[in-house]
Amino acid sequence: MTSFLSAFFSGTAQGAIYALVSLGLVLVWRGAGIVNFAQMGQAMFTTYIASQLIQNDYSYWSAFLIALISGAALGALVDLGLMRPLTSRKNSQLLTSQSMRTTIPVIASLGILGVLKALAGIFWAGEERGFPSPVAPNAIKIGETNLAITGFDLFVIGTVFLTLVLTTIFFTKTGMGLAMRASALNPEVTRLSGIKVGWVRTLGWAISGIASSLAGLLVTPKTNLSPNTLDLLLIIGFTAAVVGGLSSLAGSVLGGFILGYVISFVNVYSAPENVFIAILVFLLLALFFRPQGILGSKQVRSV
Amino acid sequence: MLAITNLVTEFASIKALDNISFQAKPGLITTVIGANGAGKSTLLRTISGLERPTSGSITWFDEELTHKSVEAIVRSGISQVPEGHAVISQLSVAENIELGGLFRKRIARGDLATATKEVYELFPILHERRNEPAGSLSGGERQMLAISRALVSRPKLLLLDEPSLGLAPLIAAQIIGIINDLCRSTGLTVLLVEQNANTALAVADHGILLALGKVVADLPAKEMAADSSLRAAYLGY
Amino acid sequence: MSKVKTHKVIGLRSTRLSIVLFLFFILLSNQFEPYNQSQLANIAMLLIAVLSITLLTGASGQISLGQGAIMAVGGYSSALLVTRLGLSMWLSFILAIFISALFGLFLGLAAARLSGPYLAGTTLVMALAIPSIAVRFETFFSGDVGISVDYGMPPKWLTNLIGEVSIEEWSLYVVLPFTAVALFAVLNLSNTRTGRTWRAVRDNEVAASLAGINIARTKVIVFVCASGLAGLAGALYGFRGLVAPSVYPTDLSLTLLTAAVIGGLRSIGGAIFGTFVIVFLPDLIEKVTGKLAIPETIGIYLPALTIGVLLLLTVILNPRGAAGALEHIRHKKKH
Repeated sequence: MTSFLSAFFSGTAQGAIYALVSLGLVLVWRGAGIVNFAQMGQAMFTTYIASQLIQNDYSYWSAFLIALISGAALGALVDLGLMRPLTSRKNSQLLTSQSMRTTIPVIASLGILGVLKALAGIFWAGEERGFPSPVAPNAIKIGETNLAITGFDLFVIGTVFLTLVLTTIFFTKTGMGLAMRASALNPEVTRLSGIKVGWVRTLGWAISGIASSLAGLLVTPKTNLSPNTLDLLLIIGFTAAVVGGLSSLAGSVLGGFILGYVISFVNVYSAPENVFIAILVFLLLALFFRPQGILGSKQVRSV
Repeated sequence: MLAITNLVTEFASIKALDNISFQAKPGLITTVIGANGAGKSTLLRTISGLERPTSGSITWFDEELTHKSVEAIVRSGISQVPEGHAVISQLSVAENIELGGLFRKRIARGDLATATKEVYELFPILHERRNEPAGSLSGGERQMLAISRALVSRPKLLLLDEPSLGLAPLIAAQIIGIINDLCRSTGLTVLLVEQNANTALAVADHGILLALGKVVADLPAKEMAADSSLRAAYLGY
Repeated sequence: MSKVKTHKVIGLRSTRLSIVLFLFFILLSNQFEPYNQSQLANIAMLLIAVLSITLLTGASGQISLGQGAIMAVGGYSSALLVTRLGLSMWLSFILAIFISALFGLFLGLAAARLSGPYLAGTTLVMALAIPSIAVRFETFFSGDVGISVDYGMPPKWLTNLIGEVSIEEWSLYVVLPFTAVALFAVLNLSNTRTGRTWRAVRDNEVAASLAGINIARTKVIVFVCASGLAGLAGALYGFRGLVAPSVYPTDLSLTLLTAAVIGGLRSIGGAIFGTFVIVFLPDLIEKVTGKLAIPETIGIYLPALTIGVLLLLTVILNPRGAAGALEHIRHKKKH
C-alpha cells in the first residue's frame, strides 16, 4: 500500500512536470504547425542561467523569475530569428513539396538543440551539477509516520496547478487568449479580423518557452543539471502530447499526467531500465489505436 | 471612394485579374457579378490583402492599400466577409463576434460594447445562441455571424464574397435585404460579389461585370439588369 | 526504344561512379597513415547509413531521427550471429540486412500512418529506447558491457597478393565492397520507376494517391529498404570492435541526419560530402584549437557547436544543402 501511494504521489508530481512540457509542445504545434525539438534545450539553457545566478548569490526566487523571462525571450527569439523566416519563404524549391515543409522546421529545431547544448557545455563546463529547490525533499511527517508524499512533490504539484489555472484563465477569459485560439484554428479569418497572426504565433512560442523553463526548474532538483538531462523530458513530453492529441491543450495536460503515472508505476513495480521501453510501447499503442489522441479531433490528424 | 486601377493578380503566371479598373462610390452598393472563375473572389482577396497583386493599385480615398498587410487593411476600416460563411466553428458565437472587434479593444472599449449590442439587435438569433459553438449554426446563421464579425470592427467599406452561396432563396434574400438596409441607414460602402446576378442587381446601385479576369461592363445596376444581351453573353441566362 | 537506352546509360553511369569511388578510396588509403585509414573506413560505413536517410527523407519525404537505433539492430544481429551461432562475419553482415529490414517492416507499418513531426518524434523515442533494450535483457544482449567483435585478420591470399596489410587497411577492404554495392543500389533505384513513385509521394501525397500510387505501401517499402541499409551500416560499425548501447547513442542518429542535410537531402553526392564532413570535422577542429591554444574544456564542445551551426546555416541559406548550392552555381554560369 505504501509503495502504491508513493508511486501515485510521485507519479502526480512527475506528471505535472510532463504536463508542462507537453503543453509547451502543443502550444507551438497549434500555432505554427511545428514540433519544437529544441524546447527542452531552451529549458536546459535557462535552468543553467538560474543556476549561475544562484551561484552568484541571487535569491532562489529572483533566479526563478529571471529563468522564466529568459525562457519567454528565447522562445520568441527562435520564432522571430529562425522559424518565421523559414516557414514564410515561398520560393525555395525544396519547400514546395509538402513533406519538406514539415521536415525543414524539424531539422532547424534540432540544429538549435545542438547549438544550445554545445554552448551550455562551453559556458558551464558541461559536468552534472545540482540544482536547489526551495522546499526540502523529505517526506512529510504527521507525528511519527512518514507520509508517502514529499514536500518537494507538493511544491511541484502546487506550482503546476497554479500555472494551469492561470493558463486556463488566459485562454478562456482574455482577448489575447481568444486571439491565440482563433489563430490556431483559422489563421485566415483571424487575419481578416485585424489580428496580427504572426505576433500571436510568436507569443505562443514565448509562452511555450515559459512552460518548458518552469519544467526545467522543477525537474532538475531531482535529476541534476547537465546539457543532456532534459532530453528525456522532451521524449516523454512528446509522447504525452501525442497521447493527448497533439492539437488539444487540455489533452496535452491529461497526457502528461497519464505518462507520469505510467512511468512512476513502471519504476516502482517493475524496474527503472524498463521506463524507455514502456514509453516507446505506450507511444506506439497510442499511435495505432488512437492516432487522434484522447481529446484530439479526428480531422486534425488527417495528414 | 474605392478606386481600383489597372489591377493585375497572377497565379503561376496565369492572370486571374487582367488589368482591372473601376470605382466604388461611398455610401452605395457596388456589385461585382460574373460566372464561376471570372475572378470575383480573387478581386476581393486582392483588395483585402490576402493575395498580392502583380501590378496596379488599390486606393481607399487617399489611402494606398496596394502593399499593406491584411491586418493593416482591416485596421483602416475595410472588412471582408470571406466566401463560404467563414466563421471559426470551434469557437462560440459570442467569441466569433468578439474576435472581430478584438483589435479595437484597447482604443475603443465603449464603442465595442455598443457595436456588439447592435449586431445582436440586427440578428437576434445570434444573441439567443451566443454561447453555442459556431459550428452548430445553420448556413444562414453562420453567414449572419460572419457578417457580424466584420461589422463589429465598424468598417467603412464592407467586402462581401457571395453571401447567398448555398443558402435557401428566402434566407439569401433576407441577408441581402439586411445589408441593403444597413448601407442606406449608416452610409456604409458595400462591395458585393455575387454569382446570383438578379439578387445582387436588385439592391445594388452600380454593377461591374467580370469575365475571365476582365471588366466587360461597368454600368448603373438598373441598366445592367435591363440589358438582356449582356446576361445572355456572360452569365448564360 | 529510347527509354530502354536511357536506362542502360544510367545503369552504366552509376556502375562507373561506384567503381570510381571504390578505387578512389583505395588509392586514398595508400597515401594515408593507419589513423586516417580507419577514418576512411568510418566514412565508408557511415555513408551507407547516410544513404539510408537520403533514401528515406530525400526520396520519399519521411524523416527519421532514429537511424542510429536501426544501426544498433543490425549491429546486435550480426554480433549475436557470429558469437552465438558461430556464423562467418560475411554471412552475418548479409543476414543483418534482412533482420533490420524485417524490423523496418514493423516500424514502417507504424510510420506509414505518421507524417513529418509525428514520425520524427516517434523515431527519436525509438533512438533512445532501443539501446536500452540491450540493458534490460542483459543476459542475452550483454548489457552495457556489450559484445566484442572485430573484422579478424586479413586472409593469407590477400597478404600473399599485396603484401602486409594493416588492421586499419583490412577494415577498409571489408567495408568498401558493401559501400560500393549500396551506392550502386541507391543510385539505380532513384532512376527507376520505383524511385519516381517515391518522389511523387514525397512531393505531393494527394496527387500521388490520385495517380494510383498506394501511399502507405510505398512508405513501408522505403522504410524497409532504408532500414536494411542502416542495419548493414550498423553491423559494419559494430565490428570495429564493440557492439554496445554506447556505440549507438541518440547523437549518432542526429549526426547522420546532419550529414545528409548539409550535403543535400536529395543528392547522393551530397551524402558523400556530408559524411566526409562529419567524420573529418572533429579532427580538423582539434587541430585548429590546438594551434589557437583554446582550452580543452571548450574544445570538446566545438565539433557539436560547428555541426549545429552548419545545420542551421544549411536550412536558412539553402535547404538543399551543398549539392543544391553547387547546382545553383552551375545553373547561374550557364546563363
